[in-house]
Order: sequence, then structure tokens, then C-alpha cells
Amino acid sequence: MKELIFTLAIMIALGTAAQENSTTKTQDHPQKATTSHAQAATTGDEVFQANCSRCHTPPMSISPRTTGTIIMHMRTRARLSREDEIKLLRFMAP
Amino acid sequence: MLLLGLAISVPANGQSGGPDEDHAGFVPVISGGAGYVHNVNGGITTLEPQINPVLLVPFGSHVLLESRTDFTGFFQREHGTEGPFKGKVFKTVEFAQIEWLANTHITIIAGKYLLPFGIYNERLQPIWIKNLQDAPITAVIGTRTSGAGDGFQLRGVATQHPTYSIQYSAYFSAKSDINQLESARVAGGDVSVFLPRARLEVGTSYQRFLQDREINSEAGYVSWQPRKTPLDLKAEFDASYYGRGYWLEGAYRFTDLPIPRLMQRTQFVTRLQHFFPSHGGGNSLPRVNNQRVDFGLNYYVRDDLRFISSYGRSFSSQGNANVWNIGFTYRFLFPLWPGRRQS
Repeated sequence: MKELIFTLAIMIALGTAAQENSTTKTQDHPQKATTSHAQAATTGDEVFQANCSRCHTPPMSISPRTTGTIIMHMRTRARLSREDEIKLLRFMAP
Repeated sequence: MLLLGLAISVPANGQSGGPDEDHAGFVPVISGGAGYVHNVNGGITTLEPQINPVLLVPFGSHVLLESRTDFTGFFQREHGTEGPFKGKVFKTVEFAQIEWLANTHITIIAGKYLLPFGIYNERLQPIWIKNLQDAPITAVIGTRTSGAGDGFQLRGVATQHPTYSIQYSAYFSAKSDINQLESARVAGGDVSVFLPRARLEVGTSYQRFLQDREINSEAGYVSWQPRKTPLDLKAEFDASYYGRGYWLEGAYRFTDLPIPRLMQRTQFVTRLQHFFPSHGGGNSLPRVNNQRVDFGLNYYVRDDLRFISSYGRSFSSQGNANVWNIGFTYRFLFPLWPGRRQS
């Protein structure tokens, strides 16, 4: 019972801390979709939504520095085409 | 040698793949998941802290080295339900592979790779992805002996159209008893059809186990995420010499419900599964008919942090049992060093 209470206490603490952070966190992707890359973002958004959600909750923000590496990884794992990889790159790091 | 030559020939700044890639960074990355699960199975409590870092090192924009190591602790009371918790942390190199993204149709993989059988082992196993923390009973079918193979794999998209794409994997693995590189001599493949407009995927896997008793394993699976409903449906049927079984899983996010915004971050999950042993079962499969139903509630604090909880009930002639899980999972992603983003 002690360890269960300990687990719950950690979860509540984490939740409180994360909740505060999440209020200041921007959602990069919807904003990027309205830039001058709108056309690419539209198709990239479709690729993103259709393919990422096949396995997991799509992340709301990825650092542009890591985007190329992550999309290479996902192209292999999700067996995406080169065309989809390019659409994702344009959408996530315009 | 071929892959090494390719890695050297592609400039290391990673921006050489053409004008389409000028906007993205290709720097080494540490990603992965971490979490803690408090598990109670048939009255026995197990504390399971775990972290699974994934190292991604690109060599240009066409070659990627990636590896995932799992560190999971199992701590149980010394005398079942009494006494202090004791246990140990297990370290497993789950995969360590180099990939050459040769062209739009082919990616060549060499090293230790996850066996692409069904949808669980390769895609749903990470702690931050799976909706329920306990693996389906049939997850061990097609993934013997370690869940990974040592050898080569070809994979990619065979053909792509606006309305559908066909994806494939084919592999051969050699037998290995080397520490952290354990694998069996197997060959197999996977084919799936994905309909992006319907967000529906249907696939099948086949594997031939080529050592000791040579057996075939087969799987068929469906994955569907309807466009207009935050629903995630997955189902898989697996069969091998030692038995056959299926699991059906549905997960529903409350995002569309007219409830307070905080509650909309909740996800309800349920999974039903049934296993029928053949030839005595065994090889990590139950030896008797086994049914199990699970219900879970997950709460997404953010897209990378969630609380998890589930209750399951398993039914078999060896006895019924309740299984409880509660904990949290976290997905992380860091560049290993600052990379300059081109403007």
C-alpha cells in the first residue's frame, strides 16, 4: 500500500508541474501550416496525421534541429516513400 | 563495406539530399520513452521502472545508425506478498542497426533489427506508445527468440498512389548466442495495404523458423483510425505450431466529448484476447486455453506525458486472476549537440 501511495504522489506532482509547463507551450504544427508554406503544409499535414497516428499520438512540437533525423527514422519504421518524407520535412521544418 | 562506403561518401552536414532538405536539421538525437508501472498480478506486486533510450545518428540524409536499449527493473516482495522489495535491473539491446535509405522503394537494414511480425513487436511495444502496458498473449508468436533478428532486412513502400500504398518487409536472420545479440535463424516478411483517406491498414506477416523444429508462423492485422472520430482500433490474429489466438483493441480519446477541457485529455482503452494452444503450447505461450479482457484509462497531461491505469481479468483452467497496472509514461527527444539550422 505504501508504494502505491508513493506512486500516486509522484504522479500528482508530475502532473501539476507538467500542467504549468503545458500552458506556455506552443503548438508548432498548426501555426506552421498557415505560413507561406501553406500548400506544402496542407499535404504534409495529411501525411503527418495519417501516418503518425497509425501507431502513436502525434507529437505537437519537434525541434527543427532534430526534424531531419526523426523523419529518417520514421520513414524506415513506417515504411514511408521519399515523397512523403519530403512533404513531412516541408511541413515540420518549413 | 558497401554501407560504410556510402556513409563516407555522403557529406556529413546532411544537407546534400537536394533542395528539398534545406530546411531540416540532421543531428544525432537521443529519443525514447521512460516510465514507471506499478503492477499487481494475482496479488503479487511488481514495481517496474524503465527507460528505453533510442540513439539516432545520421550520416547525411540517406544513412542512419539507430539503436534502442531497454533498462527495466523488476522488484517484488521477497516472500510473495510480504517482506522487502528485491529485484534487479535488466539491460537489453533491443536493436542496433544501420539503414541505407536507398530510394523511395527500398531501405536496406543490417545489424540487429526488430522482427517485423504483426503490428505489436515493431510498432506498439515502446512504453510511451502502447495503450495497455501488458503485451498481448500472442505477441511472442513470430518474435522468437529475442524479438530481434541478426542479419539483413529490406523494407519500404512497393507502390504508392493517392488512394493506397503497399508496404513490405523481407528479412533473414542468423542464429546467434552472443550476449545482447541473441537471435534465431529465421526468414520472413510482411506486406500491408494502407488506405490514407480511410486511414485503414490491413496487413499480413509470415515467418519460417529455421532451427530445431522448423515451424511456420502467420499473422493478419488491421489498424484503423477513423477521420472524424478520435478512435484507434487495432486487431491481430496470430498462429503458429504452438497455438493460435487473436486480440482486439479499441482506444477512444475524449477530445470530442462535451465535457470540461481537462477531462478531454482522457483516453479509454479496452482489449479482448483469446488464445488456443496447440501441441501442448509452450515456448512462452500458455499451455491451456486462455482468455483475457482489459480496461484502461490513460490521461494525457501533454502529448509526451501521460498517466496510465488499467484493470485486466484473465480466465483459464489454471485459475483466474486480476491484473492491475498504474503508473506514468514519458516520451523524450533531445539533440545530442547543437546543429545549425540553415535559413
